[in-house]
Amino acid sequence: MITFEIGAEAGAQLERARELGRRYLRPLGIEADRKREPVPPEHPFFLLAWQQGIGQPIGVEEPRAAGGPRTAARRGVLLAEEMSYWDRGMSVALPGLGLGGPPLLSMGTPEQKERFLAPFRDTTRPHWAAFGMTEPGAGSDVAGIQTSAVRDGDAWILNGAKTFISNSMRAEWIVVWATIDKSLGRAGHRAFIVERGTPGLEDLRYEHKMGLIAYESSSFTLRDCRVPALHLLGGEAHYAGRAGFKGAMKSFNATRPAIAVMAIGIARAAYDAARDFARQHYRLDRPIPRYQRYREKLARMARKIEVGRLLCWRAAWLADAEQPNEVEASMAKAFCPQIAQEATSLAVEILGDAGVASEHYVEKLYRDVKAMDIVEGTGQIQRIVMARRLVGLPH
Amino acid sequence: MFEIGLSEEQRLIQDTARRFAAERLAPRCREHERRRGLDEGLIEEFARLGLSTRDLGAPGGPGALAHALVLEELGATDAGAALALDPAGLAAHLAIESGSEMLARAVGGAGRRVAAVVDAAERFTTGGRRVSGTTDWVPADRLDAVLILQPRRALWVSERIDLEPVRPCGLEAAGASALRLSAAPVAGRVDDPEAVARALGRIRLHVAALLVGVARAARDYATRYAMERTAFGRPIAHHQALAFLLTDLTTAVDAARLAVWRAASAADRGGAAWECACAFAEAAEQALFVGPNAVQVLGGHGFMKDHPVEKYMRDVRTLAQLAGGRDEAELAVAERVVDREIGLR
Repeated sequence: MITFEIGAEAGAQLERARELGRRYLRPLGIEADRKREPVPPEHPFFLLAWQQGIGQPIGVEEPRAAGGPRTAARRGVLLAEEMSYWDRGMSVALPGLGLGGPPLLSMGTPEQKERFLAPFRDTTRPHWAAFGMTEPGAGSDVAGIQTSAVRDGDAWILNGAKTFISNSMRAEWIVVWATIDKSLGRAGHRAFIVERGTPGLEDLRYEHKMGLIAYESSSFTLRDCRVPALHLLGGEAHYAGRAGFKGAMKSFNATRPAIAVMAIGIARAAYDAARDFARQHYRLDRPIPRYQRYREKLARMARKIEVGRLLCWRAAWLADAEQPNEVEASMAKAFCPQIAQEATSLAVEILGDAGVASEHYVEKLYRDVKAMDIVEGTGQIQRIVMARRLVGLPH
Repeated sequence: MFEIGLSEEQRLIQDTARRFAAERLAPRCREHERRRGLDEGLIEEFARLGLSTRDLGAPGGPGALAHALVLEELGATDAGAALALDPAGLAAHLAIESGSEMLARAVGGAGRRVAAVVDAAERFTTGGRRVSGTTDWVPADRLDAVLILQPRRALWVSERIDLEPVRPCGLEAAGASALRLSAAPVAGRVDDPEAVARALGRIRLHVAALLVGVARAARDYATRYAMERTAFGRPIAHHQALAFLLTDLTTAVDAARLAVWRAASAADRGGAAWECACAFAEAAEQALFVGPNAVQVLGGHGFMKDHPVEKYMRDVRTLAQLAGGRDEAELAVAERVVDREIGLR
């Protein structure tokens, strides 16, 4: 059936997110942007959020009622949009499993889940996890990662460098992707859980960004980092055939609609800011050509935001229906950041000179949103993914 | 929670339309275009399927979403024929929305041909229960009545309808004429602005669904061609410049379809004039991106009548002029946007 109603239960959840966003996410996001540094892990807000049971909107395992329909992906996109609307940077800064969650939950052995989820049951202080794939020389081309893993008795020795990893400095553990043999390409990939404080996990440092400053993007080096063999995610058996790389891709597919819809959240924030500014400063009912242009820009923003959201919703609905959603997820991820970039840019235009002044929110959104076309697979990579499925584009 | 999957009934309706389009329209597509019309028998056959505006849109009927599915299927084969098959299909929306029995009779008889002219600028003028005015194009060669929708009212005439055939850019199977009314007697009117606004929304949705169909057909044809045609030693679809274009065409079709489904779903719950205007604007923008680019994928072949993409390109351009066109739809979106909440509700 087709319905676009979100229902009372999700509505109530969104209301809580809205309250959190209004009181904390938006003000803290703006504060971090002005200070040019991420909100530190010891900030009291994180403890407050943690004790209210608020984690990141994605990557949390769903308690599924027997026989009931899955709704995790759909609840995920609704929440991701709302949190991102208030502040996308802060929504990533929130404690929780983050992008480390899906690989652990989908690939991890029962023992691994038991061990690595344990810190997240501690309610006395907030906890983070992280996901480390990107390297200085391997971004979109994840198959080209250079970090090496060499077996040594009951451990693996990791060497390499990871970059732009969210929350890695404050993480309990990081899912680190490495290769056991570069000549094997993707078949050589392995995921390890590297715990905080492991000797050889070094040089953790902040990267300085144009936008989304509230959350930490950091880099680190692995120098003869010795990881127990039991921390090989999924165990040896998981990597028979090409499951290793597919494990990484699977986690991407589960998160793409939620990442795509975050761009919609930012675009919506830009729309609201521009509309409110226009209401306050312009008499849009007067037949002045410039005002008609503003109306047209707002109309385009509103229309594209709604269409982009629908693409995300469809991809999430397919995920919940356990139907293939690779093309649809990539489509949403290719489309939404583009229209969101346009929307934030149009918002700057509607504000005129004020649009570029940091006192107004829209120039921050214009800087923030650019990352959404880059993280979790650039728009170009999404098109490659789609083209492989649609027209058999060779690898 | 939201769901985006068709019901059994909707699938059945979609399949019926798809089969009819494939078996009855597709083989004679170019012939219908040349003849600027369809056999009466074919129109009667379609009427018996129960897929017209009157059948699907009637209170308690399958509704706007089911209708959108039918129109996409017909549009994907021949949008001009889709208009000709339900020759009062656009005007019938106002009969349903206003509940006017008089109008229902005017659009209701078997094979009645009734044009719906969206006259946002109020170029048709009335005086003494008569109406005068002209429009350079209606997609019909023969009309039993003309319904004129103005911003706050609608009226119709059934006499003194002067039609002069013109050569249209596309949609030839529906016919094409310049329309002149010189003091034509007003046969009836609807003075309920809300009913007129709702009907205008439904008419826009109707055209938007056809646009989705044509865009889909253009994308599908271009994609198949790009997989078969080789250049520089491989299928042209495997050159990244075209591979990316083809993915963008797919996205365009899906975006337009979702906008139509969303508006149709809202229309089935009443109102939805804003969503319908959005759907038209989105479908027009996306179809106008897909049509010419489908020709581009075929290169010189695309320009020739041996392939259907040239027809799709002409049809999307022509369709997007109906119901007041893209500008009126975008203006309708813009008019109400300042009061619009687009948050999650």
